[in-house]
Amino acid sequence: MLDLNQLQEKITQVLAFIKAQDGVEYADLRVNSIETESYSTENMKVQSLNASKNLGYGIRVYAQGSMGFAGSQDFTAMEETAKTALAIAKATQLTQKNPVKLSPKKVVKDHYQTPVEIDPFTISKEEKLALLFEAERLMREAAPELFRTHGTLTFRKERKTWADSDGSYIVQDLVESGGGIDAVAITRGEMQTRSYPNSSRGNFATAGFEFIKAMDLLGNAPRVGRECLELLKAEECPSGIFDLVIAPTQLTLQIHESVGHPIELDRVLGYEAGYAGTSFLDSVEPGKFRYGSEHVNIVADATAPGGLGTYGYDDDGIPAQRVEVITNGIFHNFISSRDTAGAVGSLSNGTARADGWGRIPIVRMSNINLLAGKYAFDELIAGIENGFYLDINRSWSIDDRRLNFQFACEIAYEIKNGKLTGKIYKNPIYTGITPVFWGSCDGVASQEHWRFFGTPNCGKGEPSQSAHCGHGSAPARFRGVKVGVADV
Amino acid sequence: MYNKDQIYVFINKALGFAAGYQAQVAVSSSAEGLSRIANSEIHQNVFEDRTSLAVTIIASHKTSSISTNVLSDEGIQAAVAEAIANLALLPDGEETMPLVSEPKEMETRRFSQELHDKFTVETRAQLVAEGLSSITEPYKAFGQLSYRRSASGMGNSAGIRRYSDGNSVRFTLLISDDLGGTGYANMSADSLDAVDMAGTFAIAKAKAEANKNPIELEPGAYTVILEPLAVNNLLGTMMRAFNGGMVNNKMSPLTDKIGEKVFSEKLTVVDDWTSPYSPGLAFDGEGTPRTKLTLIEQGVAKDLAYDQASAKKAGTTTTGHAGGGAGRRGGASPANVIVSPGEKTLAEIIAGTEKALLVTRFHYMNPVNMRQAILTGITRDGFFLVENGKITKAVRNMRFTESMLIAMNNIEEISSDRKRTGASFIPGMKINGFHFTGKTSFSDTGEE
Repeated sequence: MLDLNQLQEKITQVLAFIKAQDGVEYADLRVNSIETESYSTENMKVQSLNASKNLGYGIRVYAQGSMGFAGSQDFTAMEETAKTALAIAKATQLTQKNPVKLSPKKVVKDHYQTPVEIDPFTISKEEKLALLFEAERLMREAAPELFRTHGTLTFRKERKTWADSDGSYIVQDLVESGGGIDAVAITRGEMQTRSYPNSSRGNFATAGFEFIKAMDLLGNAPRVGRECLELLKAEECPSGIFDLVIAPTQLTLQIHESVGHPIELDRVLGYEAGYAGTSFLDSVEPGKFRYGSEHVNIVADATAPGGLGTYGYDDDGIPAQRVEVITNGIFHNFISSRDTAGAVGSLSNGTARADGWGRIPIVRMSNINLLAGKYAFDELIAGIENGFYLDINRSWSIDDRRLNFQFACEIAYEIKNGKLTGKIYKNPIYTGITPVFWGSCDGVASQEHWRFFGTPNCGKGEPSQSAHCGHGSAPARFRGVKVGVADV
Repeated sequence: MYNKDQIYVFINKALGFAAGYQAQVAVSSSAEGLSRIANSEIHQNVFEDRTSLAVTIIASHKTSSISTNVLSDEGIQAAVAEAIANLALLPDGEETMPLVSEPKEMETRRFSQELHDKFTVETRAQLVAEGLSSITEPYKAFGQLSYRRSASGMGNSAGIRRYSDGNSVRFTLLISDDLGGTGYANMSADSLDAVDMAGTFAIAKAKAEANKNPIELEPGAYTVILEPLAVNNLLGTMMRAFNGGMVNNKMSPLTDKIGEKVFSEKLTVVDDWTSPYSPGLAFDGEGTPRTKLTLIEQGVAKDLAYDQASAKKAGTTTTGHAGGGAGRRGGASPANVIVSPGEKTLAEIIAGTEKALLVTRFHYMNPVNMRQAILTGITRDGFFLVENGKITKAVRNMRFTESMLIAMNNIEEISSDRKRTGASFIPGMKINGFHFTGKTSFSDTGEE
């Protein structure tokens, strides 16, 4: 880690240097020091044991309404980097029509630390590898015909130091832990995967090694192995219109793609139109648009304990906060940064984040959570005559306005006459239109079924950035959903 | 960023700290300026100078990797020491891959001083401003113009050194009217004579102007004419199937199909780093000289891409397609894909078509089932109905879900004109029976 005293002195000096330059209205400087460890085992062998260290800084300069940014890892040339950022801001003025208006904020001096019970970097590498090997062994013991077993663990710690020319100085020590297991079974022309606790390397949180222990990888490994083999023999999921209950393992991506991205104010303003796309919410009025049924209550909550999108302050220096996005089905708030909020005359709600020192902060999801409802899980199932319970995402796609989506899941459990029959189907796909789908929700399970999942790879921006965000939800029921594509 | 001599100093230092071990060191250095455009003005304008070093230590059938951007002597020494220490934690692996030892020196140098001088932060803004002057209300421009300079080196304890450098310009442009009718075009260039800003503005604008008052079509099977960007979207995903390791692991759709006719006989695809249409590196991430691959010859799936590890498992030799970066398990994939042309231009194919849907590009593609090569995605930024040889109407965007093993068998025509897209050189294609499985209706969105 950096020497905080020396760093603070240098940052203060560089910010004073920038502010003294001709035309400079505001500047901020962010230092990111990131260390990662990642473990991967496959078929009882170590596939990789990697670690990385990454240290650098980025300087953002606003001059006469234009922004310029420069990132570097050369700490001996901070003034030069500041000059580069200023030159970029001045070049930007050539095409400028609408000077950037930053929404107001307070001067803050603070330190934030992810609450951690067990520092994951103090757990020996041997213990981490042993956990993955044991999980693999249990999967293979329960299902010897498996073609592949696999496990991963990932740990990340970051010291983020942010300061601005107004006098703010914020240090954040952020810790993340994540991991998961999966099994693959193969016959000629067919491959099936079963994962735990979710696909795409499992689950992630701002937490310590206690999060990995609580996952109970070993307790779930035999079931994962067995279900993977059962899927290989299962029938293809039928196509048609069905009622569904969707598990949090899939709802996390449903929320991410069809709520999290459309509510980003930069997309609404067209900032992502040339790349990731826009939002169908660009023509709606907050407070009046019905996004879903009265059962749908969604918040953007950067303060939620353990969420992968939980932090103390965003990279504009705005405190983390909880924002009501959809209340009883009605859309209320976008998520925003200082520049996007300034463009529409509102206050930033603190979701500007960069994925490292070389990138600018842009609007990113914090934790976009579907709040728990009032139903027992069995009540949701009991309300379905003919349908499926879908678990764990396998594939995703949505259009550039975030309306037309299609998801594939690992497994569909049959529901007949209000009961899970025990029969499973492979290759379930469902598709829909965002507000129609959320409008068809007629029940969300209660708090005891609510689960938090982290998404560590949300792509957006140019140059590309990968954000870490979270999504909590409980199983929810949806009526009349299009399942499968074989009948088209 | 760093030059060849400086990069080799880092490599030699790391190898020195790893004395006594088999070791491989890679250094990647880049500087990129990117001007992002939204609502016909530059709204984000950034620069980043980044260098990282990755060291891989190999001993007793074990491989350990660390990457760092802390390039002081202490930083490099710490990375090497940690990689060595990690060896003790690893169980014995399979056979250790030997380090590449010949030829001793190779380099690929493609840096253009002319391009570098032209694309300063100021001239980049001027070029954008000139282009924007051709866009008038109700149209607006979105996209990005970037200039990137890069230099990479690798070396190993067997004594080889590899170096490459280059620079390139990338421009992507979306033109949109106030009702959401969009048009898209892009350009990538590694020499000044390949830069065509005005041409890119003209194509995107013409598409946006044609993309008005879209009709709505029902899902079903349609004949499609895919422009090169759309073909590249499909083939880019399909090229993963030619990873020799995936085929050997039975996870590729080409498992048990090599040597068989899998695609239309009209389709021939090679991977050739020497081609002027798709210039690449002379060596891969392990330092192996790249070989040319005939991936598909008249519909027959032939060569696969291998690195050392996947080749060893498959009982063959590496083709020089290993990825770079930390570790030596990046897998192997085709890097410079060239599709053989047909006889008619894309315009002639359109002119000779009674009825089809013309696709500019696809958005957010993902495999639904990679083993069966089933992909899904949605049309974007120019989707048109072709009737009696002419583009007659814009069509509201639709979702496709289709197996590439079927679509690439249903190729009716391939265009003679091709477009460079990244490291690929791709024609347009006319494909029959292409399945669109979803639409976005006017009525169910609350829009319009």
